Amino acid sequence: MPRSVWKGPFFVNFPNLKQAIERSIPIKTDARACTILPSFVGARFLIHNGKDYLPLAVTEDMVGRKLGEFAPTRKRFSYRQTKNK
Amino acid sequence: MLYLLGVNLPDYKVVSVALRYFYGIGPKTGEQICHRLSIHRQCKLQDLTEVQINELSEVLSKMKLEADLRRDVRENIVRLKNLGTYVGRRHMFGLPVHGQNTRQNGKTAKRLNARVFRRQV
Repeated sequence: MPRSVWKGPFFVNFPNLKQAIERSIPIKTDARACTILPSFVGARFLIHNGKDYLPLAVTEDMVGRKLGEFAPTRKRFSYRQTKNK
Repeated sequence: MLYLLGVNLPDYKVVSVALRYFYGIGPKTGEQICHRLSIHRQCKLQDLTEVQINELSEVLSKMKLEADLRRDVRENIVRLKNLGTYVGRRHMFGLPVHGQNTRQNGKTAKRLNARVFRRQV
């Protein structure tokens, strides 16, 4: 079920967003649940996936999605013969 | 058999049921179309008059069906994949998209989800 419209989108305030877009400094964040707002377009992020911070350059198509959708948290299973490797 | 917009419809079926032979028309849409054209609920396709069939094809030609709809669905999936979202990734790997478990089963997704990408290869 989608989120109620009257609540508005969930987002986190990035106080240094404007500077970050101007100087194209990536914003390091853990807020995976934050909705990508139109004002984020052009910004670069480093999104936490539980282990690393993955880079993302926000484009217009991404507006309305969550930051976490672009930083996969799971590794693909790959078979190894020995455990000690 | 009645040939309408590239689909063969069976004469002996009730109109709302026969319409489901189109990709993009299910039980509900089929009934809605019948109501709108005031076709009787038990009316079979062979009992339709020429005028009614013309009306029917006019309504259908305005709807998004068959190849158009399939293309739309595919484009939506490819867009999600190119954007790099979680959903697109799940489609590409042929895994369930809506958060189901994959320890067992996930058979439907394995059968269906990666189809869009398999055909391109």
